[in-house]
Amino acid sequence: MPTTSAAQSTSPPRRNPFRWRPDQQWEAYLFILPSLLGFLVFVFIAVGASLGISFLDWGLTGPRGFVGLANYRELLRDPVFWRVARNTAFYIITIVPLQLALGLTIAVGLNQAIRGTEAFRLIYFLPVVTTIVAGAIVFRLLLARNGPLADAVTGLGQLLGIPLSLPDLLGSTRNSKVSVVLLTLWKNTGFTMVVYLAALQGVPQELIDAAHVDGANAWQRFRNVTVPMISSTTFFLFILQTIGAFQLFAEPFVMTRGGPAQSSEPVVQYIYDNAFRFTRMGKASAIAWFLFIFIFGFTLLQNIMQRRWVYYETE
Amino acid sequence: MSRRSWSVLSVLAVVIMLVTACSPVPATQAPAAAPAAATPVTLTWAFWGSPEEAVSHKAVADAFMKEHPEIKVETWNEPWDNYFTKIQALWASGDPKAVPDIAFLWPTPKYAAEGVLENLDPYIQKSGYDLNDYWGGLLESAKYKGSVYGLPRDNEINVLYFNKDLFDKAGVKYPDENWTWDDLLAAAEKLTVKDASGKVTQYALAMEGGKYSKWVNQNGGAILDDYVNPSKCLLSTPESIAAVKFFSDMMNNGYAMRDADLSQAGGDQAVFLSGQAAMIIQNTSRVSSFNAAKMNYDVAVVPIPAGGKRWNPAGGAAWVMSAKSDNKDAAWTFLSWLQGKDGGEKLYTERGEIFPALQSVANSSVFMTDQPPANKKGIVAEAAASGVGGFGYFPEWDELDSSVIGPAMQKIWAGEADPAQALPELCKLADQFLKDKGFPKQ
Repeated sequence: MPTTSAAQSTSPPRRNPFRWRPDQQWEAYLFILPSLLGFLVFVFIAVGASLGISFLDWGLTGPRGFVGLANYRELLRDPVFWRVARNTAFYIITIVPLQLALGLTIAVGLNQAIRGTEAFRLIYFLPVVTTIVAGAIVFRLLLARNGPLADAVTGLGQLLGIPLSLPDLLGSTRNSKVSVVLLTLWKNTGFTMVVYLAALQGVPQELIDAAHVDGANAWQRFRNVTVPMISSTTFFLFILQTIGAFQLFAEPFVMTRGGPAQSSEPVVQYIYDNAFRFTRMGKASAIAWFLFIFIFGFTLLQNIMQRRWVYYETE
Repeated sequence: MSRRSWSVLSVLAVVIMLVTACSPVPATQAPAAAPAAATPVTLTWAFWGSPEEAVSHKAVADAFMKEHPEIKVETWNEPWDNYFTKIQALWASGDPKAVPDIAFLWPTPKYAAEGVLENLDPYIQKSGYDLNDYWGGLLESAKYKGSVYGLPRDNEINVLYFNKDLFDKAGVKYPDENWTWDDLLAAAEKLTVKDASGKVTQYALAMEGGKYSKWVNQNGGAILDDYVNPSKCLLSTPESIAAVKFFSDMMNNGYAMRDADLSQAGGDQAVFLSGQAAMIIQNTSRVSSFNAAKMNYDVAVVPIPAGGKRWNPAGGAAWVMSAKSDNKDAAWTFLSWLQGKDGGEKLYTERGEIFPALQSVANSSVFMTDQPPANKKGIVAEAAASGVGGFGYFPEWDELDSSVIGPAMQKIWAGEADPAQALPELCKLADQFLKDKGFPKQ
């Protein structure tokens, strides 16, 4: 952020953001007031209320009774909760690394001075701005047991004279999660790519040139100069995509409805089911807070770990 | 004034404009004059459905208002996906003006347990409304603690639809009321077409996995020992296991479409229309689209096992009255007209939208028309076999079905589990679920 040297010299090394300073431009608060009100009413109060509701037995319309930690205790022995929690863990473990690797690979490819990169950037970014429901429906048709992809694989097998067939991706409990991962990668990799592309263009050319002069080959220059220089971007994307994977909902909801046999159902869909299908607002809120604690803990851990591998130019 | 004060003032002005735009307009109009004696009572009538379906409901409302000028009916509708969430939000608001007086609802017992529905027993007694005209077991789905809380509009009659062209091509005799499961299997073998690579290009049967209770009850099995106050899961009995195995074997042999494939392919209506399946088992809601497509088809009763019995899951969404309605007598007048044999039931049946909940309407010329399917008697024969056994009538049923029973069944339909092992395991979980929820209740 550009600051004048005068401001830098007068500002104390540590400032308390909450201390009232009459010399400050307090009118700024007026400018954010409308959206602040919206945030308070629709986010802050709602989040606080969900904590309260998680201690209740409440069906949205009926009487509400205080049950203490019973909703949380029920979760611990609820086999469905653990099933969907394992599904979400699977999504995080697969989607986040694959998305970062794919996004970086495409970004490096498109960072070359070759013709047509603009067109490719557009093509790779298109899924990001496509409605997820439309994308999911197309994927569902594409991956169906008798769909075009299965036909193509069988046809290829016949051409080569070997029996080839695509495993059932949507209808089997073993593969349904893979379909969701494929859709999510298709949908979100473009975003990762664009952010990486911006980061790659910020890597100083003189550093790479210097490594070149020192005799580093292309892979060494990439591994030891580029990757560390964009590590703060990797960290940002890592946190963002992890939270996104924790909150995965629309992709499996539209494509498989979480099925078959809840094999692709993520935690967020279980929150939705409990709240609006079984009208158990208390249990739904308890799951939501479980999820929050996990995301919060995970992000905190990553923030501590980042000191070991993230490089900031300003340090 | 300084520049700073100007900016503060302008921001304040914007905020004030925004806030006032959101708040209700102050009552500037003079209070309306005392209602004249002729002013009709207004009822709000809620139902789900597409714009086309809403047109049909509005025609029914118009017919009612013609007969009852003293009552004005306003409609409120939302697509199925949002309907239940929105109507619950209205109830939760507690505002009698916002809450619909009459609503279409499923499942009734769940909402009755929450206390948002009016007990209809006193109105039924006072007006002498005839409950005996309903098909057997049908009213159970609208009862809670022995009292009637809703009047079912239709009855879900699952029949066997068959494509005559495909039967003729395969040289198979059309199904009739004497068919057993063995006849169905023999026909299925001839009606299933596979290509050189072994891929099925035409299935004999397409039926949603969720309709398995038909086979189970036909074979003398059951899902639960009691559907109102259960204490035990009965899907692990030999009769139940044999019935589920009959259905899953048909899928494993390629005769019947797997449940997941069926939904990926767009459902039974789509695969029957396209000729991907020679037979489907579904309720009567499909008739209008098959007639519109001028298909060469007919219906038959669903084959039963040798020594088994005909059985159909009685059930249909019901019209209910809100406990918060401020015009309950007018609401009952409308409700009993909707469910009268000369009122709504007749109109919906004439439009070909429902199989009527009332036996008298089904047996009248309103239903027995010369429109396809020809075998209307077959539909009535299935309807006469209606009974409880397709689902539970207690509020926790939805949760039990979608988080315990459904997932285990889906594994069987996917060919990943053997009914002989999966069903006893499923019952263990279901029994634990019932115990945790305090069943059987006193």
